Amino acid sequence: MSDGEISIEGGESSSVQENVPEGVVLNPHAQVCLQQLLRVWLGFERDLSKVPLLRRIDLGTFTVEDHQVFLRNIRQQVIEGSRWIARTASSFDRNHSEIRSTIISHAVDEHRDYQMLEKDYVASGGRLEDILNMERNVGSEALHGFLMHRSSLPNPIDLLGAMWIIEGLGEKMAHSWAERIQELTGLSEESTRFMTYHGHNDSEHMQRFYATLDRVCNNEESITSIVKTAKVVARLYRLQLEEIEYDIQ
Amino acid sequence: MTVYITSTGSFFPGPAISIDQVESILGAVHDKPSSLRVQIQKANKIQTRHYAIDENQQTTHSNTEMATNAAEQCLDRAFLNREKVGMLAVASTQGDLPAPGMASMVQAELELPEIEILTTHGICSSSIMALKAAWNSLRLEEHEAALVLSSELASRLLKKQRYEAATTSTFAAKRIDFSTEFLRWMLSDGAGALLLQNKPAPKGLSLRIDWIRGFSHAHALPTCMSVGSAGRPTDSRTWQDYDTYAEAEQDGALLLRQDVRLLDNLMRMGVDGYLRLVEEGVSKPSEVDHFLCHYSSHHFRNKILEMLDTAGVGIPEERWWTNLYSRGNTGAASLFIMLDEFLRTDEVSVNVGDRVLCFVPESGRFNTTYLQLTVVEK
Repeated sequence: MSDGEISIEGGESSSVQENVPEGVVLNPHAQVCLQQLLRVWLGFERDLSKVPLLRRIDLGTFTVEDHQVFLRNIRQQVIEGSRWIARTASSFDRNHSEIRSTIISHAVDEHRDYQMLEKDYVASGGRLEDILNMERNVGSEALHGFLMHRSSLPNPIDLLGAMWIIEGLGEKMAHSWAERIQELTGLSEESTRFMTYHGHNDSEHMQRFYATLDRVCNNEESITSIVKTAKVVARLYRLQLEEIEYDIQ
Repeated sequence: MTVYITSTGSFFPGPAISIDQVESILGAVHDKPSSLRVQIQKANKIQTRHYAIDENQQTTHSNTEMATNAAEQCLDRAFLNREKVGMLAVASTQGDLPAPGMASMVQAELELPEIEILTTHGICSSSIMALKAAWNSLRLEEHEAALVLSSELASRLLKKQRYEAATTSTFAAKRIDFSTEFLRWMLSDGAGALLLQNKPAPKGLSLRIDWIRGFSHAHALPTCMSVGSAGRPTDSRTWQDYDTYAEAEQDGALLLRQDVRLLDNLMRMGVDGYLRLVEEGVSKPSEVDHFLCHYSSHHFRNKILEMLDTAGVGIPEERWWTNLYSRGNTGAASLFIMLDEFLRTDEVSVNVGDRVLCFVPESGRFNTTYLQLTVVEK
């Protein structure tokens, strides 16, 4: 059974590129940070099951309309996602140039994801202008505001906690939701490309994440700030999904 | 007051049943071999198990009898007069009678006079609930000794007649209904017993109970393993809401169900609880010498174990021990059965001072329970 794999764990077959260190041994602070991040993730993932729209995936009552509502409501955050990542990169000084490079390449990878999402929306029977006209919902406003604020601060290493949650969710969509949504709604792969795309190169992403964590998390303060930001982002992301706007604007 | 497990016992009904014999005991539904059996058996890797029903699906041992037999073995091995047992706690997913509680029935069989009794209701973790209550009772110094039993007779729920009678159920309607058939090839019967005392046994090894903790996630997650509903998202009736029990049975409301799609939540919540205990300083992974898990390591995807290793809190596979493959998955009774054999097996060396971490997750509605024992000798 492929459904419900532990989403943060990564896929089986992706190859690790040469520039990505394999089998990173984390320093003790980074280890504790990873333990706490795992708990934040597991709590976030569990609590997503309480969000009415997502609970319908678990209960088997998710509809095409639900899929469209979901896509309409997360598009704004996906667009803004590339902005805060780019700003995060520019907020790192010369002493953090390696991290800056990693984040820039990440921003390049994802900055046009929203176009894929729009195509999914149309493929699932939605009208392009409807998704283009959607404004940020209440939760997206809060999430965006927080991320732009943190990313504007100097050397915002705590945003590693934000990436942990948002990347984790991308992988959860790919491994747990996409296929199940197709099964429940009868929609084709064409409608869930945005979700499945995020399952690619999981283990490479994880190794890259570990390497960055090992580099920046060297003391108690960095653990606290990374974990705190992960908690805030988890809460605000869930708020975004709880504050779903059902109507077309 | 420190409390020790000073004796253990177990009971298995009938002979060990191999993979190929399973369907001849439970019966082929409408005489057609199951198309899912081999796949599910391959995945769970259980080689032998026991059933308290025969090849004609007639009950050979009641649940009460099995619990009693495990208790007798446990008491026979103990350095304690029976009258010192002040409490009897019994756990099972389903006793022989819906009422009264199973502890009453077992007490009668054991002829233990005027003791305090407790029946815990639940699935796999019900045995840990019973153990914790008995442990606390001794810690409060209300008793010197308590007997904790867990027994499961799942095969009565899994025999072919149950499925054949469910004529209007999802099982009858679908060509393949994973949710009703999954547990059919997983669960089997058996009983385990633990004797708790306020001092270690005068001879041999005892297990000191260091702590017992549980975290339930029913507030957030849907029901995953259950008996009592027809398993349709839009139908909220439970078995007693039907006009007759016969209608409930026809509709599949008396079949044992597992929503396998939700099952991975159990592993996730299991890891979460473990990390919580590590964070609180209750559990120290580097000090764990033996890990007894109700699920075997292959049930956890390797990747999450790798992630725990990366985070410095993994437990090396050589410290895992289970008898799941030879004794079967006996639900609530599993851990007691495991502890009984753990203290006697040659497969692993058990030494004074060793720390034993035990983990019993329950998929019902996601209850995860943990306990730590330390091997001691008087």
